Amino acid sequence: MPFPFMTDIQTDIAAPNVQYAISAERVEMVFGSGDQAFKALKGIDLKILTGDIQLLMGPSGSGKTTLLSILGGILTPSGGSVSLLGQEITGLSRPKLAKFRLNHIGFIFQGFNLFPALTAAENVEAALNLKRVYGREARQEAWRLLEQVGLADKGDNLPQDLSGGQKQRVAIARSLAGKPRLLLADEPTAALDSQRGRIIIELLRKLAKEECCTVLMVTHDPRIIDLADRVVYVEDGMILPEAPSSFTHLV
Amino acid sequence: MVSIARKNLFQDLPRFIVAQAGIMFAVGLVTIQMGLLNGFTRSSSLLTDSSTADIWVASQELRYLDLTLPIPYERLEQARNVNGVEQAEALITQGSVWRYGISQIAPIRIVGFDPEGELFQPEPLIEGSWAELNNPYAIAIDRLDLTTLDVTGLGDTSEIGSFRTDVVAITSGIRSIVSSPFVFTSLNNATAFLNSPVAAPVSDPPVPPELQPESLITFVLVKARPDENLQQLKRRLEVALPDVMALTQDELADLTQDYWRQSTGVGFILGLGAVVGIIVGTVVVGQILYSSVSDHLREFGTLKAMGSSDWFIYRIILEQALWMAVLGYLPGMALCLGVGAWTLEAQAVQILIGPTTAVGVFVVTVAMCSGAAVFAIQKVTRLDPAVVFKSS
Repeated sequence: MPFPFMTDIQTDIAAPNVQYAISAERVEMVFGSGDQAFKALKGIDLKILTGDIQLLMGPSGSGKTTLLSILGGILTPSGGSVSLLGQEITGLSRPKLAKFRLNHIGFIFQGFNLFPALTAAENVEAALNLKRVYGREARQEAWRLLEQVGLADKGDNLPQDLSGGQKQRVAIARSLAGKPRLLLADEPTAALDSQRGRIIIELLRKLAKEECCTVLMVTHDPRIIDLADRVVYVEDGMILPEAPSSFTHLV
Repeated sequence: MVSIARKNLFQDLPRFIVAQAGIMFAVGLVTIQMGLLNGFTRSSSLLTDSSTADIWVASQELRYLDLTLPIPYERLEQARNVNGVEQAEALITQGSVWRYGISQIAPIRIVGFDPEGELFQPEPLIEGSWAELNNPYAIAIDRLDLTTLDVTGLGDTSEIGSFRTDVVAITSGIRSIVSSPFVFTSLNNATAFLNSPVAAPVSDPPVPPELQPESLITFVLVKARPDENLQQLKRRLEVALPDVMALTQDELADLTQDYWRQSTGVGFILGLGAVVGIIVGTVVVGQILYSSVSDHLREFGTLKAMGSSDWFIYRIILEQALWMAVLGYLPGMALCLGVGAWTLEAQAVQILIGPTTAVGVFVVTVAMCSGAAVFAIQKVTRLDPAVVFKSS
């Protein structure tokens, strides 16, 4: 049964069913200017199929997070174009980009970024409030999402009373609020040990498949490669044609 | 809807308490300054509160209640003959000197009125009776002035001019901040006191004479007939009585209050104190909100990354500011009301906190806290949502 509030949060920006959920062409990003200019991304071309779980891997400083920020509509690239869910977003104004993110993208962060003063359920409910779902409807949906991530018994706990894995589950539940079509995750397992990290990614994969989400995940963690549909490697601001030997060795 | 503002506010209780103490202090400062200004201005026209007259007739040189020239007693009779006047009584107010102990003096303000009259009745009378003021050299003073005038109570004596006075009645709470202690007496006694030279007490003083047409009084208090147009009656009085000015009771009170507020520095000084309170409160709230937003920057960045509009976040900050305003205002105002009651009882200094002041201070508090939120809002406005991708 579709969310009753999905119609409320639609914008004028259409999100049709498309082959590629994410499509980036010749994306460049330059920080600073003049002698201080630093080219973080050097003409990235990337296409991610709808419904895929895709990993973005590479060493620190390779430009993975910058690329994720651009693909998530948070940073505007210095050059090139980005299309999400069939919608060209590179020319959109800041408010329209924010609206697009609100309606179509869920985020998961390395540091969880939960509100420490809110309980687990309230953190999810706040995300729903942001999408104009209020009151009992928001509360019920928040608890349903917590149940989906296996935290039905922890909804009243503050983040400080949760383990790292539990916090990330809350963050996943929050990212799923409002049924986004895209999930962008930045090092979601970085703060977790390998076992918990794997459990989280398995959960994320399961939910993403259930909810028909496309997932783009930045990670350093080679142990979760087998859970992804595709992996791209970024180094020095460029996508490598194949996995570097260092990664192959780790896997 | 989840109140992120309220939850953030109560998350750090010690900081919340410090913030509320700052707001309470600001509310207290503003309220007490405003209350003192109100009490002061109200006090400056205190004598008019004891009167039920509609119109006060005075010399045309009148500047305000306490600064005017005398008019002849015959104006009373002339006023009674003016069409539309139902009742008229004389009133004398003039400064004099109270002598007590050995060579001790104190300034006083003699208020002579008709104890049997209806247009001037200082209330409340807590001991004695007004009728006794008709006795020669009998006076009434206020209980709050007993110490100042070195009087123990009813039956005590002192000297005004060359006459020994008898305290026959005591009022309660009739003390003006801007005036010397009031000494109430009859018109005849007042005239005798004011015409008496400062000298050794007369051993067997004569009974004060009745007022003559040429005797001097300060005001003629006029009660208009029912449904009489006061402005028209004022004009008729000014035409019928030579060299006088007629003012309604409210006009005289306003004239007097405006004089004390504007012609002295008191209004400015108390207003300045209130402004200082607002500035202190704004700075305190501003600091607290700013540091609260700084502490939650990552969370606000998360909201922005998730697609929140700036206004959604502004609402959180403004709600936080409003909670601070309300929760700082309520105990602050309660404290001020307590202090006001105490100063009135112990010092007879009136800190007048009426509904208008209370509502006004609440509006100021809300404005102060909302204004302080601007600093925090600016910080959030400049916040780059990409901050969420930096590891903590």
